[in-house]
Amino acid sequence: MSETTRRNVIIAGATGAAAVVGVAGSATVAQAATRKRGARSAQEPVVAHVEDHTSDTVTLMVGEREVVVHDRDLVVRLLDAVGGN
Amino acid sequence: MSSHREAPEIAKDPVADGTDTYAFVSPENPDSVVLIANFIPLQKPDAGPNFHEFGDDVLYEIHVSNRGTSEADITYQFRFTTEIRNPNTFLYNVGPISSLGDTNWNRPQFYSVTRVQNGRSRILAEKVPCPPVNVGVRSTPDYPALANAAIRDLPRGGRVFAGQRADAFHVDLGSIFDLGALRPFNEAHLISMPAMDGRNAVQGYNVHSIALEVPIDQLTADGSKPTDVLDPASTVGVWATASRQKSRIFDRKTGTFQGMGPWKQVSRLGNPLFNEVIVPMARKDKWNSRKPEGDKAFQKLVYRPELAGLLPVLYPGVFPNLAAYDKDRADLHAILLTGIPEGVVPGFANFTGPVPADMLRLNVAIPPSAEENSLGLVAGDAAGFPNGRRISDDVVTIELRAVAGLTLPLVDPEFTPDGAAAAIEDGTTNTNAPLLDGFPFLGHPGGGYQFQPGTYDAS
Repeated sequence: MSETTRRNVIIAGATGAAAVVGVAGSATVAQAATRKRGARSAQEPVVAHVEDHTSDTVTLMVGEREVVVHDRDLVVRLLDAVGGN
Repeated sequence: MSSHREAPEIAKDPVADGTDTYAFVSPENPDSVVLIANFIPLQKPDAGPNFHEFGDDVLYEIHVSNRGTSEADITYQFRFTTEIRNPNTFLYNVGPISSLGDTNWNRPQFYSVTRVQNGRSRILAEKVPCPPVNVGVRSTPDYPALANAAIRDLPRGGRVFAGQRADAFHVDLGSIFDLGALRPFNEAHLISMPAMDGRNAVQGYNVHSIALEVPIDQLTADGSKPTDVLDPASTVGVWATASRQKSRIFDRKTGTFQGMGPWKQVSRLGNPLFNEVIVPMARKDKWNSRKPEGDKAFQKLVYRPELAGLLPVLYPGVFPNLAAYDKDRADLHAILLTGIPEGVVPGFANFTGPVPADMLRLNVAIPPSAEENSLGLVAGDAAGFPNGRRISDDVVTIELRAVAGLTLPLVDPEFTPDGAAAAIEDGTTNTNAPLLDGFPFLGHPGGGYQFQPGTYDAS
């Protein structure tokens, strides 16, 4: 499991080919809510950005930095969540 | 304007909108350079109850390039924090503000100064107070005292000030953006009208300024105070930027936006008017987000400026020599993108290497002039624009005349400027607030109570 997939994710919105995802402390994605958080897990709000829905790239923005994660499985799960699946 | 609302995207974000950048050897202390970056354009002084202020969510920076690469070698960062002393009032102040610590002042703002060099950050000052805005005669009865109290010394020398100032730029916006009209030359315009004096569109408006006084030896690559004008190490490049975090989420709990992610540049300003009149509208936003070191992508716009082609059209028969010139404008390329190399202007150079980049270029070996000429270098005053930029330099006239061909003979002796090239101007003079004799030099801002709204004529 990648570092990113351990994060708790809430879908906040999406437009066109790009999905913008807000992350908060209380998870609503059931799958994520059951995961155990790692020791280095973020303790603050996070925004996830999928710029290209055909790619494997999710950009996570937290504080004054960003983490670029390459995880096609995560991208697909975010897109599915946006689509209401 | 110099860079007030000069691009579509930043025009919607005035708190981050850089309006003017200045860099000059201090006439008050010739061992130091003064760097000033203005933001938040066209502030009406009576803009209460929520008066203008720096953005807590904006990273303001002044950059210095000193190794001839056009990259930032030294960066000064300014981050602001606003406090609310009394959450139960709608008022900016609940009584006269007599000092920076006065509890009558409900919304004080503070900032930190960080110097970044070689990847290392050093905090120079923290929780430095800004002065309040100039609310009016009852609220800020002794504004100069408040402003002077906000000037702070920095470690290892130098001073800093951040707060509201009177804008010192002057330009006839209403005329220039009405099909390139210059009121004194109305009769010669394609749509002819009687000639008249110019109108200073910026008069009476305020800006927010960040002013730094820095010892020269802290800005040069070798830590020296240069004395040889022709030594390339004597010239530094200067520009200012504003950045916002990459994403912004609305926090419904507080009703405010929260930034997340790395800082991304949304505004930059080196030479006055570069993005304003050189870069076409469709590319202005991109230009604002780019670093000067990548300006090669824009240099064709300098070689063949749109305005040089418009002047002969808008003023038929006035610029025949300019209209006939079909070579690249090497003079403008030198002035705006590389600096003027040795041998072009006798005894002068501010060349910073071949990398084209829009920066002010200040030769710090040139001392301040005893008597300033607002037309700067083209009038024989080497301490003025385009050698850096002083507050009183008439950059609109200088650049208009340069674009009209006045500076072309410097690089192409076969070219004869049209007679109008030496006379063209927008007809405005510096009718803004008086400048100060000392740091931070920009005049005190106009007060809200004292402000007199202008007239309006729709036809």
